[in-house]
Amino acid sequence: MAAACTSRTRQMMGLLRILRNFSQNERLLSTSVLRHNVASDGPPKFTPPSKPVIIDKTQKEASLRRFLSPEFIPPRQRTNPVKFSIERKDMIQRRKVLNIPEFYAGSILAVTMTDPHVNGNMNRFIGICIQRSGKGLGATFILRNVVDGQGVEICYELYSPRMRKIEVLKLEKRLDDNLMYLRDALPEYSTFNFDMQPVHYEITGDVPVNLLKVKMRPKPWSKRWERPKFNIKGIHFDLCLTPEMMEHAQKWAEPWRPYDMLKEYDTSSLEEHIFKEVQENLRK
Amino acid sequence: MYICNAPQTPECEHHWQRAGQHVRLDEADGRKGKETGRAPVIQCIRTHRTNTWWDEHLTEDNASFLKKVVTEEYKQQTTDKLNPLKDEPWPRHEWVEGSRRVGLVAVKLGMMPVWTKSGERHVVTMLQVQDCHVVKHLSKEEYEGHTAALIVGGKNVSPFHRPEGYLEVFRNAGVPPKQKLTTFCVSDNAIIKPGTPLYAAHFRPGQYVDVTAKTIGKGFQGVMKRWGFKGQPASHGQTKTHRRPGSLGPGGDPAKVFKGKKMPGRMGNIYDTTHGLKVWRVNTKYNILYVNGSVPGHRNCLVKVRDSILPTRLENNKNPPFPTFFADGDEEIPEDLYDQDMFQFGEPMAE
Repeated sequence: MAAACTSRTRQMMGLLRILRNFSQNERLLSTSVLRHNVASDGPPKFTPPSKPVIIDKTQKEASLRRFLSPEFIPPRQRTNPVKFSIERKDMIQRRKVLNIPEFYAGSILAVTMTDPHVNGNMNRFIGICIQRSGKGLGATFILRNVVDGQGVEICYELYSPRMRKIEVLKLEKRLDDNLMYLRDALPEYSTFNFDMQPVHYEITGDVPVNLLKVKMRPKPWSKRWERPKFNIKGIHFDLCLTPEMMEHAQKWAEPWRPYDMLKEYDTSSLEEHIFKEVQENLRK
Repeated sequence: MYICNAPQTPECEHHWQRAGQHVRLDEADGRKGKETGRAPVIQCIRTHRTNTWWDEHLTEDNASFLKKVVTEEYKQQTTDKLNPLKDEPWPRHEWVEGSRRVGLVAVKLGMMPVWTKSGERHVVTMLQVQDCHVVKHLSKEEYEGHTAALIVGGKNVSPFHRPEGYLEVFRNAGVPPKQKLTTFCVSDNAIIKPGTPLYAAHFRPGQYVDVTAKTIGKGFQGVMKRWGFKGQPASHGQTKTHRRPGSLGPGGDPAKVFKGKKMPGRMGNIYDTTHGLKVWRVNTKYNILYVNGSVPGHRNCLVKVRDSILPTRLENNKNPPFPTFFADGDEEIPEDLYDQDMFQFGEPMAE
């Protein structure tokens, strides 16, 4: 296979990588592409049919995006690390059966759950993820959508046995980790069509950041989002608040917080360790 | 009967020693003399009560040597006790209706969610059984006249900061010293030889247990938090009275406050039991019990676990491993034992 690798094949392999994300016609497309390539090169050499394994060989591990789901990182507590390692084993076991993809607050997901009260047993909901919270097996995420003018938020548990499928329709990040302010924003920012098709995303490089600044409904809001404790960058404050109100909000600023050493929690070494462990066990 | 040879003086205290016991520590201040061999002579050693700690008068080398020797000795003791059958085991009986067996001492690790096969979510507490050994057996007469008792010890702990009397019990059993000792009332057919290790597989999924532990200490607390009084309204004219107990009782007839009146005081840090907790899962590799609901005590505290005494739960506790689970290698137990209703994470999408 290495001998037959021309630049043309490399391009085709690149196409293959992108097409892999669409699981529908993978086999058909790949074989037809190869046959086309071989015919133009001259006497047909026997090339084995492409398998997804090829992607790992041509693509270096280092360029694939390293993502560790935030619920794997243990909180800063005085618990025995044995407890976390055992919980991690259970989480990895569950991930081997159910594929939990990479997603962030601001990505649009479609979740299929089993529901005994529905005729066809399955219940599909699409929404924007506004928050990911919880550590370990109790990790949850909240999806928000506006259905028939009514805003609906559903909190799903990632490791619940009722989860059937989690698809990422659009992978992107926003300016904040917590998008609870969408409740007080204009409904157009939380409406997503239930027939939305998945948008292609790269598995290498950085996640695209949506620099959208959201327009808000008139005050009062459910929370005073202008206050510095929320540290929200994704709201267009100039349109809804006067500079005096912004200054007034700064009264609740706590400028010493970034220098508070007791709040420091450096997870880099922990993360690497856990990432390696998770990758190793998932491959088994 | 002990006889003292030394002249009695009112100042010094005498340290009585039974013949044959040898003292390991050879300290520079001469607090305890080293006895040579096992002479059948009853000796009396004069001691002075001094407030020193174990390595105050030792050199650094001696202190580190002692630490090393002690850890090795305890490792040796634990490995010896892994197969208690090797030397004069006590007879094992079958479980009979109405017999009571030992419990365990475990460490509370934390909590996590658990799902049933129908999708209901419950919370469980993880209790890890770390170095649990039977330390002493008290017969019916020694204990109270009705039932025999077994004293069980929990987590291993260093011997250097414990008094001699405490360490003696463990030395007799041949077991490293433990942090917590509890007594379990046990029927005569369930007695176990001191020195036997106890494992988490002693309990099986589907059983019900009672867990006793010291509750988290809250310090001096007012009457609303401690006893759940309702207090007074926040507004509508209340003068400086929002969280007070109000009246202390009836008026002129008793003309006193009855004993036991609920008042502010120290709350928590007392032993409390939660009854009827279901065991969902048992991990035999790390010796962890997954027990339903919450358990008194903070994380990493030692708890006492025993079979439930609730009359409605007696059916679930039939035919347990009796008198305890022995890790001799007779039965092959899988690493994880699950309850029937529990959803196991490796299963393909059930339901």
